[in-house]
Amino acid sequence: MQENKRKAVTLAHGGGGRQTNELIHEIFKKYFDNPDLTADDAAVLSMDEGRIAMSTDGFIVSPAEFPGGDIGKLSICGTVNDLACMGARPMYLTCAFVIEEGFPMEKLDRIAASMARTAEEAGVRIVAGDTKVAGRGQVDGVFITTTGIGRIPEGVETSGTKARPGDVVIVTGDVGRHGCTILLAREDFGIDADVTSDCAPLSGAVEAMLSATPDIHVIRDATRGGVGTVLYEIAEQSGVGVNIDAASLPVDQSVRGVCGLLGLEPLYLACEGRLVVIAPKDRADDLLQVLRQGKYTADAAVIGEITEDMPGRVTMTTEIGSKTLLPPPGGELLPRIC
Amino acid sequence: MSEKSAEKALRIIKNYDGPRVRIMEVCGTHTHENFRLGVRQLLPEAVDLISGPGCPVCVTPADYIDEAVWLAREKGVTVCTFGDLVRVPGSRMSLAEARAEGGKVRIVYSPDDACSYAKDHPEEEVVFLSVGFETTTPGACLSLVRASRDGVTNYSLLTANKTMPQAYRALKGSADAFLYPGHVNAITGTGVCRELVKEGISGVVAGFTANELVTAFALCLAMLQKGEPFFVNAYPRVVREEGSPEGMRLIDQWMEACDTEWRGLGVIPGSGLKLRKEAEAYDARIKYEIPRMEARTHTACRCGEVLQGRCRPSDCPLFGKGCTPLHPVGACMVSGEGACSAYYQYGM
Repeated sequence: MQENKRKAVTLAHGGGGRQTNELIHEIFKKYFDNPDLTADDAAVLSMDEGRIAMSTDGFIVSPAEFPGGDIGKLSICGTVNDLACMGARPMYLTCAFVIEEGFPMEKLDRIAASMARTAEEAGVRIVAGDTKVAGRGQVDGVFITTTGIGRIPEGVETSGTKARPGDVVIVTGDVGRHGCTILLAREDFGIDADVTSDCAPLSGAVEAMLSATPDIHVIRDATRGGVGTVLYEIAEQSGVGVNIDAASLPVDQSVRGVCGLLGLEPLYLACEGRLVVIAPKDRADDLLQVLRQGKYTADAAVIGEITEDMPGRVTMTTEIGSKTLLPPPGGELLPRIC
Repeated sequence: MSEKSAEKALRIIKNYDGPRVRIMEVCGTHTHENFRLGVRQLLPEAVDLISGPGCPVCVTPADYIDEAVWLAREKGVTVCTFGDLVRVPGSRMSLAEARAEGGKVRIVYSPDDACSYAKDHPEEEVVFLSVGFETTTPGACLSLVRASRDGVTNYSLLTANKTMPQAYRALKGSADAFLYPGHVNAITGTGVCRELVKEGISGVVAGFTANELVTAFALCLAMLQKGEPFFVNAYPRVVREEGSPEGMRLIDQWMEACDTEWRGLGVIPGSGLKLRKEAEAYDARIKYEIPRMEARTHTACRCGEVLQGRCRPSDCPLFGKGCTPLHPVGACMVSGEGACSAYYQYGM
């Protein structure tokens, strides 16, 4: 994209005229092109019978590019993973951009390319989009909203209300990496650590799990608020307790180090490529087996179980064998992480 | 520390059959970790673990907050502070409320950040809220080294720095042994603990991992049963006999001892640090002629007694009702390391 090197987005690019058309062609159409993406006012799609999952999510992460990903990849993964959590196979996405006047065209190009790559990997088509340009200072860089739909296979029913005592709690990889990456990328702390975001599309992982067993009670992606917040939500929704075993929780050494320095709990740091899966105990081995073969889920582990006692609470068996309450989530840990 | 020694320590704690004893934590991180790791639950009935005045935010009196609020509101000063202090209630308002009214309050992660900010914004007057014990004080002094080297004249400190030795003496009757704060001893060394033994004050320097904490408690209980005043360094991984001479020299170069008020404990002679006369250009109290504040605090709040180990957070009538981490009344509920906040978070 040689000619984009010096160019920047201007208010005219959002005016709906010739420049808007140029922007769409030079960047979005180039990357997102597919038979369902037309110049008409809306995409026209054929759907089979059955149940459809639909979700939408806005992305305002700062910085827009960070180790392991960028706002584009994040915007696809976020909505794809939300759909996957309902057991749905993501099919179509729409995306809306709000871009700050002066945003470098080259950077926008990289973000769009990253979106296209991620969408392709997740097997979804981007079928409609919108671009608005806001005056300098009215947004910070670029904000993206994606909306998606996916089809839920027969016999699959996951919900936060379905956790039952005796079920196992699985996480699909080490926790807290995205939150930690963003924290460090902002340079506020002057900590030099080798941490990359776990941002990844997980529809493939969900499909693999469902093919191993459709009998999965809950799937949640542990984004804002991290695994700890998700567990509290499930405990509340299902009216059960959750006990996790501190020793079996996968946490990257660098993330643990950063958390130690800053007094943060890795369980409350955001992930963007990790699922919390709750399933009957006798399915745990099958699930772990398929997860460990997956590209993004090789470090999956059983971290605890659902209990009858302490409903609505999350407890932790610590490394010295005593049981404590995981302090409930609260406050704003870090703004603008996704 | 090997797995074996941890098991041994756990056995000593479990089998303790001596008299009732009171052990006081004087470090907010110890309070927090003892809850988080579940060390509290392992202690036998006869061991009373008291959370003492170890969190710098918790012991900072309300009139200090009033001074900072005054600087932000009346003098238009940019107040730089660690995040914990922002929500601590002053007599009339917290710094968070002063900020909502338009006061300039910036959260920084080190005094050096505050000094850099001052250097980059010569048009603003910048004050760093210098609270904390021997662990954080050298950092504040280091920012002054930098300010004087770089000729940063719009930067100063509002000091409320404290030192631990006199506090131990003031709290002598409140506990049978102290769990000494490992990070403070990493700077001061252990000479002071040996001095305290001569005055009949006992304690163990403790680290922060599960093994280090249970080892410290086991040693403490074993020594208490012998009945003689004692001191043990159970954190040799980090704490050396001589501490950090560089850190102590830095403090001594810029600051000198003074009497200071501790929230809940009152004025303890010689337990504070103020800037030396030669450094008064960096003393915000002198620079801005801050008037004397007469603080008023909530009458029902029992933070003071909590800090002396005279009552548990849950004994306070406000605990969990009028006073919660989201709407704190007392300082011990504000800071994540405060005893009230820890009790509340961990559902005790």
